[in-house]
Amino acid sequence: MIGRLIVGIAFYLQGSARYRHVKKFFHNLLENPTYPYKKFFDYVMMAFIVMSVYILVRHVKHEVSQDWLFFNNYIISFVFLMEYLLRLWVYSDNSKAIIEQYEHDIFLQRPFGWMGAMHRIVMIKMGFIFSPAAIIDLLAIMPFFHEMRLLRVFILFRVFKLFRYAKSLTQFVSILASKKFEIFTLGVFASVIITVSSVLIYVMEANNPESRINTLFDAFYWSVVTIFTVGYGDFVPVTDEGRVVAMVIIVAGIAVISFATSIVVSAFTEKLDEIKEDKLIDDVSKIDQFYLICGYGPLAYQVAHRFIKNGKQVVIVDNNHEKISEAQKEGFLALTYDPSSLHSYHMLRIDFESQVIAAILLQESDVLNVYTALTIREMTKKVPLLSILLHHENRRKLTLAGIDEVVYTQELIGLMSKEVSGRPVAFEVIHALRSENSGVFIEEIILDKIMAERFFDMGKLPLFHKRLIILGVYKQTSQSFFFNPSSSLMVAAGDVAIVVGTRSLIDEFKVLIRTKGRR
Amino acid sequence: MNSKSAVVFGFNEYAKQIALQIASEYDSFAVFVRNEAEQTAARAAGFNAELFDLSEDWKLIEERFDTDNLMVFCALDNDAENVFLTISLRSIFEELPIIALAGDHESAAKMKSAGANKVMPILQITANVITEMLEKPTVTEVLHDILYEQSFLKIAQIVVPEGSFIVGKHLHDIDLGEEFDVLVLAIVDHEMAATFSFTSRGHNHHIDPEDILVVIGYEDNISALSEALGAHK
Repeated sequence: MIGRLIVGIAFYLQGSARYRHVKKFFHNLLENPTYPYKKFFDYVMMAFIVMSVYILVRHVKHEVSQDWLFFNNYIISFVFLMEYLLRLWVYSDNSKAIIEQYEHDIFLQRPFGWMGAMHRIVMIKMGFIFSPAAIIDLLAIMPFFHEMRLLRVFILFRVFKLFRYAKSLTQFVSILASKKFEIFTLGVFASVIITVSSVLIYVMEANNPESRINTLFDAFYWSVVTIFTVGYGDFVPVTDEGRVVAMVIIVAGIAVISFATSIVVSAFTEKLDEIKEDKLIDDVSKIDQFYLICGYGPLAYQVAHRFIKNGKQVVIVDNNHEKISEAQKEGFLALTYDPSSLHSYHMLRIDFESQVIAAILLQESDVLNVYTALTIREMTKKVPLLSILLHHENRRKLTLAGIDEVVYTQELIGLMSKEVSGRPVAFEVIHALRSENSGVFIEEIILDKIMAERFFDMGKLPLFHKRLIILGVYKQTSQSFFFNPSSSLMVAAGDVAIVVGTRSLIDEFKVLIRTKGRR
Repeated sequence: MNSKSAVVFGFNEYAKQIALQIASEYDSFAVFVRNEAEQTAARAAGFNAELFDLSEDWKLIEERFDTDNLMVFCALDNDAENVFLTISLRSIFEELPIIALAGDHESAAKMKSAGANKVMPILQITANVITEMLEKPTVTEVLHDILYEQSFLKIAQIVVPEGSFIVGKHLHDIDLGEEFDVLVLAIVDHEMAATFSFTSRGHNHHIDPEDILVVIGYEDNISALSEALGAHK
């Protein structure tokens, strides 16, 4: 009976879109660092912690109003309690565990063991409850019982909660965690030294009336203060034997400190690349739109340089570490990841459809470019793909792999050679326009409704007369180009105008046709 | 530079594409290569192929071609060798139009110093084309059609003849767009033949005989304009 009820509830929850949606929302909010709203939640929680600690400190020597105390003891604690329960909830999927157990039992033709399922669920949840972060969370709720004055000190556990919300703190802990064995060894070494020296100093000094070290605790305190090279001087050995112990512990202290320093430094040095990479991935996820260049080399340098000059963002991916270091030295946002692997893009958290304007494949082999194209196409059909072609016989393969534009440099050079030998000046003019180094640019302006209406009127202004050449209009509806258009041409939204002029004149023209009412 | 003969040095993929594009434009055309493998490849592609080496005194060229009507493309694999080839040709033929390929800007500057009339830096050209294709797709398509495809829209350079009706006028006073449906993109002042200036720069250029107009327009309209100017294209 209970079993049937439990399975019924589990199936109901599993099938409820609303329940799943709510659970996913809280999971993202609490645990998913890529969820855009998580950072706001984290900021609010951090603000609560800071307020809580401020009230604790203020309360030591000043009167704090009852409202603030109520806020601190109940409201903040309640928020933390809710957070704790929500984390416990989203930690695992109970209904799934019950259904799995149910189906397993049905398959083996035996009655549903709901007790077993419950046991499994409890064991999984225990994993959360006994995790260090959850223990801190729980202790941070303790000031809820504010009547117990001693428990007020648990507010300090709220400070530890900051580790949950501040990524740099989490990173610090994970770096130190990577040196667990070394830290444990150091701890054992220091403990042995402290224990032995405490006992020795106690034995040597405790019965001497001139010595202030009278208890084992005094001896322990003196040992800790000395081994960590602080040496307050409030307790000092007065006997020769005690001083010998002091000399030994001072030397050991230097070893402990240098060992501790070297552990921390080496941990950071080893993790430095990882930290830098994490930072780069974060930077990439913050860019709204960028061009993705797969493969770095001299051509990629030129392409990236031009995009950046035009105010565009570029992300470079290559699996060769040396090439990426070179790109980083040039100031590009570059990451050592294999451009042809799906895993790379998951790790980089790149959202192709919203972030990538186009992917440019510039690897040194057609094979790699085809492979990368297929990888990207597996994730998205929408992002424009451009690739260089190294061997013309592979052109069709690139097209079949879903590459939209193929650039075959050799053919391009051949066509240009024909042009340069036949019409050298004309070639120079077009080349200068394309290279954008001459101060005169050829630009396309995508017209909206207002721009289309005002296009010809503005073009006739004396400011633009003879200085802004309207080369033509590409009409989307007929997919045809109208050269040197007269004002009788019907221009509509979505059509593209091609103009030649200086940067300032083109910009002014764009502003004037865009601004309604200004003439 | 309407040469009747042309020579391409080298037979890599670049040289091959150049040869394919220009061979039919010239009365006599040859490929000069440095080894027999390239010679065989060039001959297999249907070109007249000769062997040469970089220490050549170029008697071979003088004997086979009228160097006053010859155009040379230097397209060897290695930039250093290409520079050497250019300088070696220039040392013998002062007026020979030389077009050279260069890997990048740095080599391009060296080719210029070595005496090449026109240098095509491959990397920059490719990068320009890639960025233009993505940033200005319509411009790329239109320019590609004008330059390389068999469209009716053409780019041409017209030399202004002595006594033409536009001689003595200022560029802003004439409206070839209205009258001939032809747009003047740039003008080369015959007194400063090495440079051109874009009409968009806004200089009210005084048109002299022998100036060159770079125009875009439909083939018929360009011909009509040439005829009206009494010019040769």
